[in-house]
Amino acid sequence: MASFEGLLQGFGIALSPVNLLFAFLGALLGTAIGVLPGLGPAATIALLLPVSYKIGSPVTAIIMMAGVFYGAMYGGSTTSILLNIPGEAASVVTCLDGHQMARKGRAGPALGIAAIGSFIAGTIAVVALTLVAPPVAEFALKFGPPEYFALTVLGLLLATYLSGRAPLKSLIMATLGLLLGLVGLDPVAGVPRFDFGNVNLQGGIDFVTLAMGLFGIGEILLSLEQGVIGTIVTTTIRDVFPRMTDFVRTRRAIVRGSVIGFVVGLLPGGGAVIASLVSYAAERRASPHPEEFGQGAIEGVAGPESANNAAATSSFIPLLTLGIPGNASTAMIFAALMIQGVTPGPFLLREHADVFWGVAASMYIGNAMLLLLNLPLVGVWAQLLRVPYAYLAPIIAVITLAGVYTVNNTAFDIWLMLVIGVVGYLLRKLEFDPGPLLLAFVLGPIMERSLRQSLLMSAGSPAIFVTRPIAALLLIAAAIFVAGNLLAGRRRRA
Amino acid sequence: MQSRRVLLAALMAAVLLAGIPAAVAGPAYPAKAITLIVPYAPGGSTDVLARAVSQVATRHLTVPLLVVNRPGGGAIPGRLDVVRAQPDGYTLLFGYGSGEDLFVPHQRQIPYDVLTDLVPVCRISIHSVVLVVAANHPAQNLTEFVRWAKGREQNTAAVSTAGGVVDVTLRLFAQNAGFKVTPVPGTGGADAITRLVGGHADFGGGHPSEVLPHIKAGRLRPLGVALERRDPAVNAPTFKEMGFDVVTPGSVKGVAVPKGTPSDVILYLAAAFKEISVDPEFVKIMKDIGQPIMYQGPEEYKVWFKQAFEQAGRLVAQFK
Repeated sequence: MASFEGLLQGFGIALSPVNLLFAFLGALLGTAIGVLPGLGPAATIALLLPVSYKIGSPVTAIIMMAGVFYGAMYGGSTTSILLNIPGEAASVVTCLDGHQMARKGRAGPALGIAAIGSFIAGTIAVVALTLVAPPVAEFALKFGPPEYFALTVLGLLLATYLSGRAPLKSLIMATLGLLLGLVGLDPVAGVPRFDFGNVNLQGGIDFVTLAMGLFGIGEILLSLEQGVIGTIVTTTIRDVFPRMTDFVRTRRAIVRGSVIGFVVGLLPGGGAVIASLVSYAAERRASPHPEEFGQGAIEGVAGPESANNAAATSSFIPLLTLGIPGNASTAMIFAALMIQGVTPGPFLLREHADVFWGVAASMYIGNAMLLLLNLPLVGVWAQLLRVPYAYLAPIIAVITLAGVYTVNNTAFDIWLMLVIGVVGYLLRKLEFDPGPLLLAFVLGPIMERSLRQSLLMSAGSPAIFVTRPIAALLLIAAAIFVAGNLLAGRRRRA
Repeated sequence: MQSRRVLLAALMAAVLLAGIPAAVAGPAYPAKAITLIVPYAPGGSTDVLARAVSQVATRHLTVPLLVVNRPGGGAIPGRLDVVRAQPDGYTLLFGYGSGEDLFVPHQRQIPYDVLTDLVPVCRISIHSVVLVVAANHPAQNLTEFVRWAKGREQNTAAVSTAGGVVDVTLRLFAQNAGFKVTPVPGTGGADAITRLVGGHADFGGGHPSEVLPHIKAGRLRPLGVALERRDPAVNAPTFKEMGFDVVTPGSVKGVAVPKGTPSDVILYLAAAFKEISVDPEFVKIMKDIGQPIMYQGPEEYKVWFKQAFEQAGRLVAQFK
């Protein structure tokens, strides 16, 4: 039982005082930014990237970032329930029934079941991750350049179509991301591209600069403009421990949400947001009283909140075994791993067993910490919603500027980030989701390199993508997906 | 209420600011952490060496050495970062003397002059090139491999970067042995070896510290080394003793700084690296990872580099 031994070793690492502290800091910070509308996990991890340079150990850095990621899934529901505004994107659907519950005086049980569902789903997903990741890593060796190319194509398409309500806008964003990824010296021959004669651009656009601009500055500008964000329904929260009847009513929703979340999180382009939407739809369909949905049905809180947590956890599997991030947050963690000298891919489990098992074990611990942070202390987090954004925004802005400067110590990066920040703000105003842009920026170079490697392997023949079974299957899946979407679009218009 | 709010804000700020160092540099060098730019992805032989150096550096330098990987773009952008950096001794190129420095300038234009825009600090190690095949390959030795490869239209080779030492060595070998080769470059040694282990190339090449773990685990088989004499770390004959006249210097791992760096800074760094090169812990790590220690100081290395550069030019000129 290699997984069991690995996990024991992992607990040895995760339980060290430093790692416990950073898991706690990550969970704390994650809950905080989950509660605060505007600042999401992707933006926060972007802000932490420069800090991760300074944390000596990769395990510690990733433990903290993972904590931020799944911690945000816990915190997000609080704002959805109390304010009817999602604290972060994966809690959008929780607004529907969670807020209705709060208005009926049942804020406590709504918050409680969200935290408990998150804990159960998070734990189920970590157990599954522990068991599934090693065989997946073994299988990942079968992925050569053609398979990586096909996988990045499929992942980018899925991410683009599923991320927003406007696929065309997402496609534009993904294309822009691919183009930005081309800036700099080309990956095979080292010829400069799109540098406009500027030496600062010859090395390409730095990931940290792009991420902090789009997510850090962009979100601050938008949140400042939106100003006061509504009024809290209630600050006195009672009965956070749900009644027995609530448990009985939600037990299936939590399990279903966990399974849906885990599977969706595995898909390239999948993630917590989609998982929560799918789970909500599934609960409404499965419910014996669908008319209650939208009026405060507790399953409508329990299912999606379980699903987003399970998805956040399972999206670590493709990241750590294939080196392919599926969403913006895991793309940030991909960059953090590279910064720390750990290449995510088939050999990560073998060569950096401490990183894999340490992070996996920390997830068990982190989920327990988050349950404690979110159940008894949920009232404190509700107070966080009263901190005026006028105080938070300048602090975040200063951190962003300092952070970007410390990466390369060039003022050029600061200016570039500010320009990207303004662009990020405008994109949000026009309802373009910058997520696909960032994902395409990360996947683009992998896609280009594997395309060129594949064509070298096949002496220029594109047949290599259809004669290799895994690559062919992935590309057929992509084609079916696009065709299905086009047909559905045509039917809607007709 | 007010105090709790301030506390929360302060807590968040403290968490985020924890890692940001003071931006003001003091008068004495070194006053802050020194960055080692590794222009390859993590896990390759240069990266492994840089991490070994930084691990023991705390005993020989008053400030930490931070390893920063800057892969991609054929390993040129990472070098460009150093060329463009302030010549203050806080940004060092790690891996000066690799294929991108000795071989690539003879093959295509690069955006800086490798001999004048970068100034050598020292040489630390030289990594030989080992020809390897996956463990399930039919050829048990170099002669069998050449016979096998000759009978084929195309042979793909997993190599670290285009024009790098591994690429040049394998192309020279194929030309000398008389078979067709298509080198497939990537982001560095780690990536090339992963592709080879997965069976996505007919053969490949790498440096000992990259291939040894896989040779020990029974996933790769070494067939030959491109050195004058055998590499003590690798259980394989040289190309020369198997009858193929291909000898390359290997990938040289030195340290360089941008031109204009004060000479006392260079001497300070060279002295620190010299101490590191004889540190018992470092010596043990290097033995474990299969890398020889071959220290040379700034002046000595400068002369040696120039000669190696010219020799590389003559090797590249052999391509038909």
